[in-house]
Amino acid sequence: MKTWQCRTCGFIYFEAEGLPEEGIPAGTKWEEIPDDWICPMCGTPKVDFDMIELD
Amino acid sequence: MTIPQEIADTIVDPKAYADGKRIDDAFSFLRKEMPLAQATPADYDPFWVVTKHADILEVERQNDLFHNGDRAATLVPREVDLKVREMMGGSPHLVRSLVQMDNPDHMAYRRITQGAFLPQNLRKLEDRIREIARGFIDRMAAKGDTCDFARDVAFLYPLHVIMEVLGVPEVDEPRMLKLTQELFGSADPELNRLGAEVKDPAVGLAAMAETVGEFITYFNEMTEDRRRKPREDLASLIANATIDGQPLDHFAAMSYYIIAATAGHDTTSNTTAGGLWAIAERPDQFKRLKADPSLIPSFLEETIRWVTPVKHFMRTATADAEVHGQKIAKGDWMMLCYPSGNRDEDVFADPFEFKIDRSPNKHVAFGYGAHVCLGQHLGRMEMRVLWEELLPRLESVELNGTPKLMQANFVCGPKSVPIRFKMH
Repeated sequence: MKTWQCRTCGFIYFEAEGLPEEGIPAGTKWEEIPDDWICPMCGTPKVDFDMIELD
Repeated sequence: MTIPQEIADTIVDPKAYADGKRIDDAFSFLRKEMPLAQATPADYDPFWVVTKHADILEVERQNDLFHNGDRAATLVPREVDLKVREMMGGSPHLVRSLVQMDNPDHMAYRRITQGAFLPQNLRKLEDRIREIARGFIDRMAAKGDTCDFARDVAFLYPLHVIMEVLGVPEVDEPRMLKLTQELFGSADPELNRLGAEVKDPAVGLAAMAETVGEFITYFNEMTEDRRRKPREDLASLIANATIDGQPLDHFAAMSYYIIAATAGHDTTSNTTAGGLWAIAERPDQFKRLKADPSLIPSFLEETIRWVTPVKHFMRTATADAEVHGQKIAKGDWMMLCYPSGNRDEDVFADPFEFKIDRSPNKHVAFGYGAHVCLGQHLGRMEMRVLWEELLPRLESVELNGTPKLMQANFVCGPKSVPIRFKMH
């Protein structure tokens, strides 16, 4: 499964779960998240997230 | 606007943190009346006091505008600051860890161990950590029906975990605990190196410098050993790391070990002790938590918010700036008050209530931005594992005396949590 991880704090974005409390519905693709979005845990910009494959 | 003298003196007073209510009242007053104002406590250089959750995030997010290392990264009286600069060739820091660094060094040094602390890499440690947790719980059960949960479990379990990760042998753990408590408990007569109330700041500083020296002597030997024979531990990672092809600056490497060997367990110990204290006083929540283990993650986050073991960090403005409508001048010193951010009425409903199902719970106990706690995932994992193992075995728990908080204004929490319990 493809996920996206913050380089600073390790927060992982799961597309299936989205971030409903941030206004990002479940199922939102990573590409659909605005470029000015920042990590909810530490404020790191979207550009500093890496794609990682989880089992 | 300047903060009333009594409040300014309270927020630097280690005894106010040991009292609990005194510091909570001071921050509540500030959040309501002057959320970002300047304090001029006796014996300290003036500094801004940042009390609102949103302002703490705002400052921490802009790590190039608000530096960690330009002035002292934690609150120190003017006299101590001058003496540290004298001792350290002009630097305001007794150690130079990630906490005292800014970019580009901060990023380069953080990258050395960052991978080791990511959740996917920590996962392989979980079975071993569970085994350690079970060992401590067995020892607690063997004590009968009373113990001091802080001293008998909470101080020792995270210590053992981080020392194993770091590569410090078990036989040296009591020494590491003592040195940590001397450093973070330097204002507490029961914990500091002098074993007495520190009346002369210069004497207190000399004692702290001795503690740091003892750490450095220890980790010097360890570095040499790991360079000769690298192992699968954090010490080997630090000892053999390079930046731009060069080994780490020696003082920065020593400081790296020191922060791992101190902040790597004391914060988790404080939170764990405070968590048990909270449920021992709230039988209804204890019962609910036992009945529904799916509440453990939210309970855990609430213990972190509740205790907020790191009470502050300082920042220094690198240019003129504005926060909360307040003009901050280049060079100004700012105190980020995490316990206040974590009781902010604009973010947390009933902030002075302990709720095991609090959601959302976006506390700032780990900080935010580039300096967010490196060990947060390890800390969360070891606490989750402990609660997962302890709660099913704990049939009842109640206080068996009055818990005591540590006397400190930087990293602190409960130092004694006497309990009466039943376990199977």
